[in-house]
Amino acid sequence: MTDLDPVIHAAARLRISATLASLDEGDRITFPRLQELLDMTAGNLSTHLRKLEDAEYVTVTKAHQGRTPVTYVSLTRRGRRAFEDYTDALRALLGGEK
Amino acid sequence: MTTNPPPSPDDEPLSSPDEALALIREQQRTVTERQIGGVPWILSAWAVSWGVGFLALWSGYDGGNPWFRVPLPVGGAIFGVLVIGAIVVSAVLGVRMNRGLRGPSNFAGAVYGISWSAVSLAAFMIGIALLQNGMSSSLASLYFPAVYALVAGALYLMGAALWRSVDQLVLGSVIIVAGTVAPFFGAPTNNLVMAVLGGGSFLIAAIVMRLSLRRR
Repeated sequence: MTDLDPVIHAAARLRISATLASLDEGDRITFPRLQELLDMTAGNLSTHLRKLEDAEYVTVTKAHQGRTPVTYVSLTRRGRRAFEDYTDALRALLGGEK
Repeated sequence: MTTNPPPSPDDEPLSSPDEALALIREQQRTVTERQIGGVPWILSAWAVSWGVGFLALWSGYDGGNPWFRVPLPVGGAIFGVLVIGAIVVSAVLGVRMNRGLRGPSNFAGAVYGISWSAVSLAAFMIGIALLQNGMSSSLASLYFPAVYALVAGALYLMGAALWRSVDQLVLGSVIIVAGTVAPFFGAPTNNLVMAVLGGGSFLIAAIVMRLSLRRR
């Protein structure tokens, strides 16, 4: 279990990564919609997003829709690759246990 | 050693690969459900509007439904209200499902959405032009359902191509067949064909999609 990426290998960040990975490539999602899909509090989501951002797995951009500030989140290429490597590692572990 | 606060439950490492995979699967299922879960409802709205609506029209025209009759204005009104209802359901759910997403998929979605209105309007206006140039009302009753079926079928084929959906491919094809075949039965039987083939295929598509969503 020690070769699983510790950034992703935690329940909340795994769920965030899985959610972002299932969006169409190139699409970004707003923070409130992401929060709704994860059923997390804003503070909780922010904290975990920051950790993923520190690892350069997600990009958080702030923009404006007219006068309203909007925050967009998306998986970076590196983050997508990290998630795919993670799921491959999981399957390898499960395959090995059979 | 730094003194960090104890990790919260969802910060702790997961206990097993099984748990991790289960969490991934569950979350992706939620995302899929929220992004396309409204589609079976849209399909059901159209199943009802075509099934009940065309049956109502069929029951209003002379020579139509032998089992029960409905005054034609009532039949027409039922059809109109149901179609408008289905359009509203489609628009509202369509917007809700795509809330909060930005990116390349927006262009495809916007073109697709606008095409429904634009092409339907064009078909309608061509019908008006034909009426103004001498098309009889019984021919009009053949024209309008057939052309709308063609519009809907072609747009479903567009959706199938855009989103690589075999379900939409099948649905679009059946609707085009329904629209093409119905006028050959003449008025008012064409309405029965539309109700059964058209309404029926929407209903089957709604059920198939609901089941496949549940199975993921």
